[in-house]
Amino acid sequence: MANIIDVDHLSIRFNLGNIKVDNLKEYTIKRLKHELTFQEFLALKDVDLHVQKGESWGLIGTNGSGKSTLLKAITGILQPYKGTVKVRGQIAPMIELGAGFDQEMTARENIFLNGSVLGHSRKFMEEHFDEIVEFAELENFLNSPIKNYSSGMKARLGFSVATMVDPDILICDEVLAVGDANFRKRCNERMRHMLSGGTTLLYVSHDIESVKNLCDHVLWLEHGEVLMEGDPDTVCDAYMHRPDRVYSYSRKLEEDRALLEQGKRVDYLVVGAGLFGSIFAREARLAGKSVAVIDQRDHIGGNVYTEKINGINVHKYGAHIFHTSNTRVWKYMNRLSPFNQYVNSPVARYKDELYNLPFNMNTFSKMWGVTTPDEAKAKIQSQIDELGIGEPQNLEEQALSLVGRDVYEKLVKDYTEKQWGRDCRELPAFIIRRLPLRFTYDNNYFTDTYQGIPTAGYTAIMQKLLSGVPVLLNMPWQEYKKRYPDSYGKVIFTGPIDEYFDYRLGKLQYRTVRFETQVLETDNYQGNAVVNYTGHEVPWTRIIEHKWFQFGKDASGNEIPGTVISKEFSEEWKDGMEPYYPVNDEANTELYQKYVELAKQEKNVIFGGRLGTYRYYNMDQVVDAAMKLCTKELGRKFRAKK
Amino acid sequence: MNNLEFRLRTFVKYKDLLLELIKRDIKLKYRRSFLGYVWSVLNPLLIMIVLTVVFSSMFKKNIENYPIYLLCGRTLFEFMKTGTMNGLKSVTANAALMKKTYIPKYIFTVAKVSSIFVDTIFSFGAFFIVMIATRTPFHWQLLYLPVILVQLYIFTLGVSFWLAEMNVFFRDIEYIYHAICTAWMYLSALFYPIERLPVALQVFVKVFNPMYYYIFQFRDIALHGRMPGPRLMIGGWIWAFLLLAIGLFMFQKNKNRFVLFL
Repeated sequence: MANIIDVDHLSIRFNLGNIKVDNLKEYTIKRLKHELTFQEFLALKDVDLHVQKGESWGLIGTNGSGKSTLLKAITGILQPYKGTVKVRGQIAPMIELGAGFDQEMTARENIFLNGSVLGHSRKFMEEHFDEIVEFAELENFLNSPIKNYSSGMKARLGFSVATMVDPDILICDEVLAVGDANFRKRCNERMRHMLSGGTTLLYVSHDIESVKNLCDHVLWLEHGEVLMEGDPDTVCDAYMHRPDRVYSYSRKLEEDRALLEQGKRVDYLVVGAGLFGSIFAREARLAGKSVAVIDQRDHIGGNVYTEKINGINVHKYGAHIFHTSNTRVWKYMNRLSPFNQYVNSPVARYKDELYNLPFNMNTFSKMWGVTTPDEAKAKIQSQIDELGIGEPQNLEEQALSLVGRDVYEKLVKDYTEKQWGRDCRELPAFIIRRLPLRFTYDNNYFTDTYQGIPTAGYTAIMQKLLSGVPVLLNMPWQEYKKRYPDSYGKVIFTGPIDEYFDYRLGKLQYRTVRFETQVLETDNYQGNAVVNYTGHEVPWTRIIEHKWFQFGKDASGNEIPGTVISKEFSEEWKDGMEPYYPVNDEANTELYQKYVELAKQEKNVIFGGRLGTYRYYNMDQVVDAAMKLCTKELGRKFRAKK
Repeated sequence: MNNLEFRLRTFVKYKDLLLELIKRDIKLKYRRSFLGYVWSVLNPLLIMIVLTVVFSSMFKKNIENYPIYLLCGRTLFEFMKTGTMNGLKSVTANAALMKKTYIPKYIFTVAKVSSIFVDTIFSFGAFFIVMIATRTPFHWQLLYLPVILVQLYIFTLGVSFWLAEMNVFFRDIEYIYHAICTAWMYLSALFYPIERLPVALQVFVKVFNPMYYYIFQFRDIALHGRMPGPRLMIGGWIWAFLLLAIGLFMFQKNKNRFVLFL
C-alpha cells in the first residue's frame, strides 16, 4: 500500500538576511553594503517521513526545532527548497484554530467563512451547520460578533469546524492547549474516534504525556534534523532524558539556549535547580546579574519538585510541608505563591491500632484510656521508673528512658529500625536526643507560627523563581565544567560538597528513602495525608496520600476523583542513589569539616543548600540561608514586615 | 494531471471561499451604519455635488453636462483606485491565514477587487440618478458599458496582483503608490477638459494612461451617444490584458516566497 504522506530528503530554507528587511530603505542600504542574502538558514535538513494510512505520528522537539515547519510543508504552506513532499489525501489543518475568523462577523457567518477556508462548499456547510453548532455548544451565541467570544469559545468553534468531516489527514499543532478540561476531553474523544475511523494524525505537542496517549509513532526533530523516530515510549523517554535540555520560563528561550549552548560567560552559575539555587538565581537576576542554572536531573525544583497527576500535586521526593516561624521567610514564600491552610497532623498505624502524632493526649488516652494530663504523666513516669535505666547505652535505652515501654514499642521501635535498617540496640543513643511529649490535645505536628502548602504545588514556585533564568537540565556539573570552562564568574554549588572535590578525601554518607507511587481508583485511601507505619508487619515506613495536602480538591475547588499514594521505604545509601539525609555522626562530621577547609581555598565558589553544606535542613532554613547569602553576595534586602 | 487542470480544480474547490470573502467585505463595509448599502449610491452622489459646485463654474464654458462628465471619470477612476489600494494589501492583510493553512493566494486579491467591483456597480445607481436629474438622454450605446467595466476589472486585477506581490517584500509600496495615484488622478482629466493640458502631455496621457481609454470610452457612450473608436476599444483590451499578464507573472513567480516574508 502506498504511503499517505511521503516526505523525502526535504529541506526548507529561510533567508535570514531578507526576513527582517521589508522596506526599501533598508533594502537599498543592505544591497549597497552587500549584506543581503548572506545568511541562509535551513529550518529543515534532509528530513524523511513516511506515514501510512491510519497511523498517528507525534512530532516532538524543542522550540524552533522545525516541527511546525514540517507540518507547514506537508500542508503546502511552505514549498520545499530541496526534496519532495507527496500527500495523497485531504488534509484538515488545525495549525491554529479559527485562523480564518473575522472578528467583526457573527459566529454564523464565520462558520461559513472558516469552512470555505478549509475548502468546503457552501452547500456542504449548510448541511453540517447544525452539527457544528451542536458540538461547539454555542447555540445561543450564533448571532453575536466573534470578537465578543472568549478564546475558549473560539477554540471550540474552530475545532468543531475543522473536524466536521473525517479528513484523510488531521494535522494538529498544539491547538488543544486552550479551552477547559471538559472541552479538551471531548476533543480527545473526537480525535480518537477519527483515528479509529482510519484518519491519519500528525500531532505536535510539548505535552509528552498526550503524545504518548495519542500517537503510535514519534518523530523527534532537533535543529531541523531527525534525531530519532520510533515507538512513542522509547523516543519520548529519550527526549525527556536528553542531555543539555534547555528549560526556560522566559519568553526569550532561543536567546537562553544560545547563552547556555555557547557557554557564554555569566556572572553566576548555579549548580542545582533546587530551592537554594533557584532563590539565588532569582535574586541575582533581580540584582541585574547574569545568571544560569544547571541541574543533572530532568526537572527543576530538586527534592521539592511536585508533579501533577490527575490534578493532584504529587510530592515526588516525599512529603514537603512548609513551616516556619521566620516572618521574613514566610513573607518571601507567600510573594511567590499563595499557601493553603494545611496543618500536618500525621497518624501512626501499629498493626490495626491507630494513634495520633505527635505523642499527645489523644495518643495517650487511646493507648491507656487515661483522661487527664496528670494521669498520662504518671503512667509514663511509672513505665520509665520500672526500667531503671541509668546512662543509656544505645538508642533503645535512650528512647525507653524518655517515653516508657508502651509508646516505645508501639510507635518508636519498629519504625526506627525500618528507618535505619538496624536493631535499635545496635544504634547509637545520640540519634534520638529527645522525644517530645505533649500533654495537650494538639495534633499539629509542627510548633511553628506559619504552616501550609503552596496551592499550585512547589513546582509552580520553582517556575516562578526561575522565570527569566536559563536552566540547563540533564547536565552534570563535571560535564559542564569540562565543556565550558571559562563561562562563569562565580559558582553557587548546591550539589554534594564531596562531589565538587571529586571525593578526594573520601565519600560522605547519606541516608536515603525510596518511593513507590501508585495511582488508585479509590477516592480515599487512608483519610490523611501522612500515615506512619510503626510496625514490622509492613516494610514501608509511611504512606503519603497526596490529595489531602490540597484537601482533596483541584485548583478550581472540585473534588478530585481517584487518588495517588506513595509508599516510603528507607534504604541503605549506595553510590548513585539520591542522597536525602546527611548522617551526622562523628566520622562524617569530621570528614565534612575537612572538605570545608578545602572549600575555603576555592575563591569563586560558594557552597550552599542541603548537600552543599551537608546539613539536614527544613525548607524554611534553606530559604533563610539562601536569603542571607543573597544579602551578603548581592546586596539584596528583604524586609521582615510589610 | 496537467498543470492547468490542477489550477482549475483548485479554483473550483475554493470558489465558495471567494464568494464568502466577497460577501464578507460587502457585509462588513456598512455594518452598523444606519443607511447601509444606500451609502454606495449616496456617497458618490454627494461627492459629485461637491465637485460640481466647486468646478463647474471653472469649466462651464468648455464642458456641457459637467455632472455626467465628472461622474463618468470619477466612478471609473474611483473603482480602479479603491480596487488597487485594497488589492495591494490583500496578501499582507491575510498573512495570518496564509501561514496557517494552504489557500491559493490569488483568491484574496481577486476577492478584494471583486468586492470593490460589486460596490462600484451599486454606485452606478448614483450615475443613473444624475442622468435622470440632468435630463441626459439614455443612448442605446450605454449597453456597451459592461464591456468597459470588464476591461477595467481585468486591468485593476492585474495591477493589484503586481502591487500585492511587491507589497509583501516592501511595505513602502503602499505609500509610494498613494502618491502615484494622486498624480495619476490629475493626469486622467477627471474634472477638466483634456484639451487644457499642454499638447505634449496630452499625447502622453492619450497613449500611456490606461485610465484614459476607459474613461473616454465611457464618455463617448454616455455623453455623446456614439460607440468609441477602435483605438480606444482595442487599447482598453490591450492595457487590461497586458497588466493582467504582468501582474500574474510577478505574482506566480514569487508566491511561494510570500509566506517567508509575511
